[in-house]
Amino acid sequence: MAKPSDASINSGFSRSGFSRSGFSEPSLDQALEHIASGDRDAFAEVYRRTSVKLLGVCRRILPERQEAEEVLQDIYLTVWRRAGAFDATRGSAMTWLITLARNRAVDRLRASGRRPTDPIEYADHVADPAPDAETQAIAQDDSARLTFCLGQIDGTDASLIRTAFFEGATYTELAERVARPLGTIKSRIRRALVSLRECLA
Amino acid sequence: MTDAPGPEDLPDDDLPDDDLLAAELALGLLDADTANAARDRLRHDGAFAHAHARWTAWAAGLATDLGDTPPAHIWSSIIARIPANDDHAVNARLRRWQGGAIAASLAALVLGITMWQRPVPAPQIVSVVQAPAAPMVAVLSGKAGVVSVNYDPASGRIASVVDGLDTGQRAVELWVIPADGKPRSLGLLPQGRPGWHPAPAAAARAMQPGVTLAVSLEPQGGSTTGLPTGPVVLTGKLGQAS
Repeated sequence: MAKPSDASINSGFSRSGFSRSGFSEPSLDQALEHIASGDRDAFAEVYRRTSVKLLGVCRRILPERQEAEEVLQDIYLTVWRRAGAFDATRGSAMTWLITLARNRAVDRLRASGRRPTDPIEYADHVADPAPDAETQAIAQDDSARLTFCLGQIDGTDASLIRTAFFEGATYTELAERVARPLGTIKSRIRRALVSLRECLA
Repeated sequence: MTDAPGPEDLPDDDLPDDDLLAAELALGLLDADTANAARDRLRHDGAFAHAHARWTAWAAGLATDLGDTPPAHIWSSIIARIPANDDHAVNARLRRWQGGAIAASLAALVLGITMWQRPVPAPQIVSVVQAPAAPMVAVLSGKAGVVSVNYDPASGRIASVVDGLDTGQRAVELWVIPADGKPRSLGLLPQGRPGWHPAPAAAARAMQPGVTLAVSLEPQGGSTTGLPTGPVVLTGKLGQAS
């Protein structure tokens, strides 16, 4: 969870034009606020700074390039129309954008009727790797930390969690795909989430 | 949750841990009915919304793949699809009138939260217009804690609950920030107990659905300048109570 910076909140107190604001590098939070008031320069800036990343999200979910690019357009049109719904106290601008991109791409994947059925490598026995204290100390920033923590949980658990996020697969669908009872999958993932939470805390 | 589970399906209401439910919602693990029920909770349960926001940020961290630079025509067609005279302020007013059903339930806050999960469906046009005096609510949250605020336009009174806010020796001051961007004080909030007080007239006029509320930490007695002088620790949007 990104810390809502005082700057991003305070920017709501003085609404100068984005391009004329005198900020050398305005935050994405500020840029989204400016988009909400119809500032096209701010919109171009957000696109410039985030479109490579969001295209990456789209292509992870929709490997076909043209389809990913179409969804990318829809995503930015939504950003233009709905930037006012971004709330800096609920998370960072980047989180908001990635979540929007993920949801749009997953919606497209599912609307197309394609349910991924790729096998998920599944081991019934849950491995219990011990966290390595030295590595843990290095994994300071949030994304490095998440990568580290996902590496600490069982490999099957991690791939089930990734499949849920990137393919929009629910508990029920995951259970079908690995041919195990729903209850087994639910409790297994919940235990993995508890471990993840402890590692991330 | 750490008890060894049996092989049978756990019933859906067997969720002893709200934080896990927030994680499951953020990751997309829940089936549609359970997800909708959980999404409902985001509207009125500040702690749950906070947990969901944290898991959403972590889930977004799963997206580590970088794409490459989109071809230039992508940007051109995005720009071409934005109407030349697109005016957000007018659109926002239109949506407010069209969105009766949605506006009735915590308008801005709900839209803000459901945005995390799925695109907001187009509002239905309804013939019933909200009475202007309907009570309004806001849940202000941030790392510091949660403050919920109720405002009754009929009486002009504000009721508040301050929860888990570490303020040191400072006073908790509530502000409304309307479209002109100028904060107006809504007064100091009592800590450790629910409280209510009349809203100052200048601020009361700004209390419209969709407006931003903020909490700052101020010297005892409150800001003496008429503007926040301390850190703004929480913000949220005011919406109509259903």
